[in-house]
Amino acid sequence: MGKFVVIGERIHCISPVIKKAMEEMNPEPIVKRAKEQIAAGATYIDVNIGPAEKNGPELMKWAVKTIQEACNNVPLALDTSNRAAIEAGISVYDRTNGKPIVNSADAGDRIENIDLAAANDAIVVALCSKAGVPSDNDERMAYCQEMLERGMMAGMEAEDMWFDPLFLVIKGMQDKQMDVLEFIGQLADMGLNSTGGLSNVSNGTPKHIRPILESATVAMAMNRGLTSAIMNPCDARLMETVKAADIIKNNFLYADSFLEL
Amino acid sequence: MAFTRKPQTFSSSINEVTIGTGEKAVTIGGANIMPLYTFDAPAKNKVAVGAEITDTGVDRTLPGIAAYYDGAETIAEIAKRASEMPGADFVALALNGADPNGDNRSVEECVEVAKQVAEAIDVPLVITGARNVEKDTELFSKLAEALQGRNVLFVSAREENYKTVAASAVMAYGNKISAESAVDINLAKQLNVLLSQMGIRPESYVMNVGSAAAGYGYDYVASTLDRVKDAALTQNDVMLQMPIITPVSQETWAVKESIVSEEDYPEWGDRETRGVDMEVCTAAAVIAGGSDAVILRHPQSVATISGMIADLM
Repeated sequence: MGKFVVIGERIHCISPVIKKAMEEMNPEPIVKRAKEQIAAGATYIDVNIGPAEKNGPELMKWAVKTIQEACNNVPLALDTSNRAAIEAGISVYDRTNGKPIVNSADAGDRIENIDLAAANDAIVVALCSKAGVPSDNDERMAYCQEMLERGMMAGMEAEDMWFDPLFLVIKGMQDKQMDVLEFIGQLADMGLNSTGGLSNVSNGTPKHIRPILESATVAMAMNRGLTSAIMNPCDARLMETVKAADIIKNNFLYADSFLEL
Repeated sequence: MAFTRKPQTFSSSINEVTIGTGEKAVTIGGANIMPLYTFDAPAKNKVAVGAEITDTGVDRTLPGIAAYYDGAETIAEIAKRASEMPGADFVALALNGADPNGDNRSVEECVEVAKQVAEAIDVPLVITGARNVEKDTELFSKLAEALQGRNVLFVSAREENYKTVAASAVMAYGNKISAESAVDINLAKQLNVLLSQMGIRPESYVMNVGSAAAGYGYDYVASTLDRVKDAALTQNDVMLQMPIITPVSQETWAVKESIVSEEDYPEWGDRETRGVDMEVCTAAAVIAGGSDAVILRHPQSVATISGMIADLM
């Protein structure tokens, strides 16, 4: 097994600094955040430009070129509901260090993003839901199968479909947490890759609690076979947990300095 | 359905390290395949074989060695002869005489010997020290200065002295070093991390992950080599992508099978044959496990192993 893939979530239009930088196409704050995340251990950088209805393709192209040129062609996850923007981003994307990730498809309105990924030899995040939160794991699995089939028909390799179990908020959906973990185990049993937005679990909790809940969740999920997460690599506790879990899973050889690698 | 062959190549590869200078410089590493799996893809460089000589002279009690070095008396003559050994890519000078628990030769004497050897040969030079941490630290520093520009490989820097050895041998005088860990894969990786954190570039060091003669705990060496190659290639662990050099002869010529006389053990047969057998089978095993260079003593071992490499790579 390879190392857990950390997708850095911090280039997100919901952040006021990033939002402003995207509006003004000012590279500096975006490159800074990309570099911070890479230094902290992110493999992929997520680029969330929001719906970007006005200038999506132009903005994504600019963001992809800006970040990759400044950061040694770091691989990126292109995160927007605007399909034209994803395609535009891929058209200027450098694959030296990894395929682009289309973030994301689901079993509902966004299922065509699987075809988009297939047509562009990209990885796709396949969210195991259709509309809203699935009621149980049977439903999640049905969506997973549907998307897997769609991907296979379109000529994708299964390993390029990273299934997202949809992490749920603990404060409010506490009774569903073990179901999500169980589902990750089912994906792993099928030999499938998985990823998901980890920070969902700690939504609405006090700031100092968030890394603790996220760290515990990622460790438990890695034990079930989670292969990636979209998360904040700049949180030391969280990254240490991921690195230590990688060591325990024998995904990465132990050396005394492993936290520095 | 017809069988489709799917070569197992990796997107990661072993680093390349060059020793020596000029036409006969030797580059090891570079492979993106499992050791000897040349049916998957060509290996970029062949495994290199070194002919070992020592500052304490030639062991003329072994007829094959005595015959090969016949007429070679001075260290320069011996070195030149070793450099011409069929199948040898480099000369490995073992400064056994420097051992404080043995002859305890001074650093100055050793530097003089090393210079004579370097002058006498046109192939790359590898120097193994006294295998005493304090002595080697001083020895390598002085040798590195004296042999500046020759791109010598010093075997080895250890956990206790890597800083001084790397600073002098590599940073100050541009030679190469090997990082030694005694069959401890976590330490092997850690030493590589520490060297890289010092600013030592990947093309400037190799690893010696330890060795043992076949039958003397070799299974630990085998599992270490396997784990190193697995991490380097399948897990793309850049801190284990250094090529590996294994000083085989120092282990195999020190075990009972290579030492006891035929008079004492008549049922074991000729001593020299036994010694060569131990050396050859251990070398073949470390090469199959992923060693990129081996150091051997007997001309027959060098011929046999270089023949094996030519056939398989």
